[in-house]
Amino acid sequence: MNKLILGRYLPGDSWVHRLDARTKFILSMVFIFVIFMANNVFGYLFAVAFVGLSIYMTGLGIKVFFDGLKPLAMLMFITTLLQLFFMNTGTVLFHWWIFTITTDGVINSVVVFVRFMLIIMFTTILTLTTPPLEVADAMESLMKPLRKIGVPVSELALMVSIALRFVPTLMDEAESIMNAQRARGVAFNEGGLIKRAKSYIPLLIPLFVNAIKRAIELGDAMEARGYRDGEHRTKFRVLQFTKIDGVAFVAFLIFTIGLYATRFI
Amino acid sequence: MAITFKDVAFTYQAGTPFATPALHDVNFTIPEHSFTAVIGHTGSGKSTMVQQLDGLALPTSGSIQIGDTTMDAETDKKTLNQIRRHIGMVFQFPEAQLFEQSVIADVMFGPMNYGMSKADAEVAAKKALQLVGMPENSYEKSPFDLSGGQMRRVAIAGVIAMEPEILVLDEPTAGLDPEGQQELMTLFATLQKEHNLTVILITHQMEFVGEYADNVLVFDGGTVVKSGTPETVFADSNWLRERQLDVPAATQFADMLQAKGMPIEHVLDLDQLADQVVNLIGGPTDE
Repeated sequence: MNKLILGRYLPGDSWVHRLDARTKFILSMVFIFVIFMANNVFGYLFAVAFVGLSIYMTGLGIKVFFDGLKPLAMLMFITTLLQLFFMNTGTVLFHWWIFTITTDGVINSVVVFVRFMLIIMFTTILTLTTPPLEVADAMESLMKPLRKIGVPVSELALMVSIALRFVPTLMDEAESIMNAQRARGVAFNEGGLIKRAKSYIPLLIPLFVNAIKRAIELGDAMEARGYRDGEHRTKFRVLQFTKIDGVAFVAFLIFTIGLYATRFI
Repeated sequence: MAITFKDVAFTYQAGTPFATPALHDVNFTIPEHSFTAVIGHTGSGKSTMVQQLDGLALPTSGSIQIGDTTMDAETDKKTLNQIRRHIGMVFQFPEAQLFEQSVIADVMFGPMNYGMSKADAEVAAKKALQLVGMPENSYEKSPFDLSGGQMRRVAIAGVIAMEPEILVLDEPTAGLDPEGQQELMTLFATLQKEHNLTVILITHQMEFVGEYADNVLVFDGGTVVKSGTPETVFADSNWLRERQLDVPAATQFADMLQAKGMPIEHVLDLDQLADQVVNLIGGPTDE
């Protein structure tokens, strides 16, 4: 659990860290679509170079990003294999039973693998360089237009930021309850499926009960501090676009145009 | 069962970018049937040491000997349950671990996990609930209907019912009212004397250390910096204050009297202080 790097924030002071969270959020989302424009080797090389440069700019070192890939390695591997074995067009290179490897299959599996890797790495930049609360702020700010069609944006944002705030607390609590139950002789992750599932009851019930208790206490504390509803509130953390956000957008635009250009090589 | 830590070191999330060293060069021995207090500033490694003790985390290097079993980095995790059987752990805010439908079922949970039959576990549970002072009419209640203090007692009973040989208490009195604190501490002292338990108490309350402990370990910066009897540890209050610790109030007061020229020896609790003061003022009138 502790080795999972997705959604972890690593403090730093690079240009990427100083970017507005909204910029990083928008660019990450747009990147997922833009990457599909690449359709040949040059396009992918260009994209790899761009992602590499972005990662270099975070000043965190490439190792952290590869660690982030590990939990998803299995998924990437399976998708790649499926592409490799079940793509039936192109010249046949190898055939055995129901498996056929074709040139298209090889190319496609490489493409899927590279795309996967690039998307994960690029979106990891957002979570690694932005504190979770800023991500929540960015989401609120970007969802604002939805208020016009009756979506309770501030309430949703409040829920997201409270949820984010309590993820580490609940994880710590889960661990300490788990330790306490292990000390009482519970063997987690041992025995058959049913025994395993049963062994989690002494962990889940206290966790739920404590979460409910905590919610009641938090609600009371919020009311005592004058919280009424989401409307008419001022903000303490104000997101602000600066010059470097402009630079980032321009750089991304150049990347998009460049990537589009590679289609004609 | 005596406990010996030999050159124990522990790093959280070793081998990741988040690696944080918590313990280094920890060496100490806790004699059998002793009442050992572990003190130290917040974040000095006390609770990490406790997790090592119960095999909840294995040392990164060094070894731990409990009775005749030894644990080190290579120990198979599946054998640890056998070690835990003899160690009762009361974690901070243990009321968070209650989950059964009734108080008695929750107390029986630990003993049954370690192989006690249902009937035996019920006997053990009733005995433990009596020891912690829970009224009999509460046994069938849901643990979640109890008050915070009562939940704490039930959780502690759940540990005592396992009939451990070593009882580890991580700030068992935190958040209780003064009366509840005193009752619990008396219970632990009685258990240690009458049931021959080895008690390890982690606390920030120096009064309890002075009153009950016969052995003290001082943690600072992830290692043991001093160990010995309460008299030796509390002898130098300045040294303790540098480590953000203090001596019991009675010791402080005795030191102040001493500084004013009163012939008062080392004092650990109120009783000792009162005795010496009575001797001092009563002495001349005896003639």
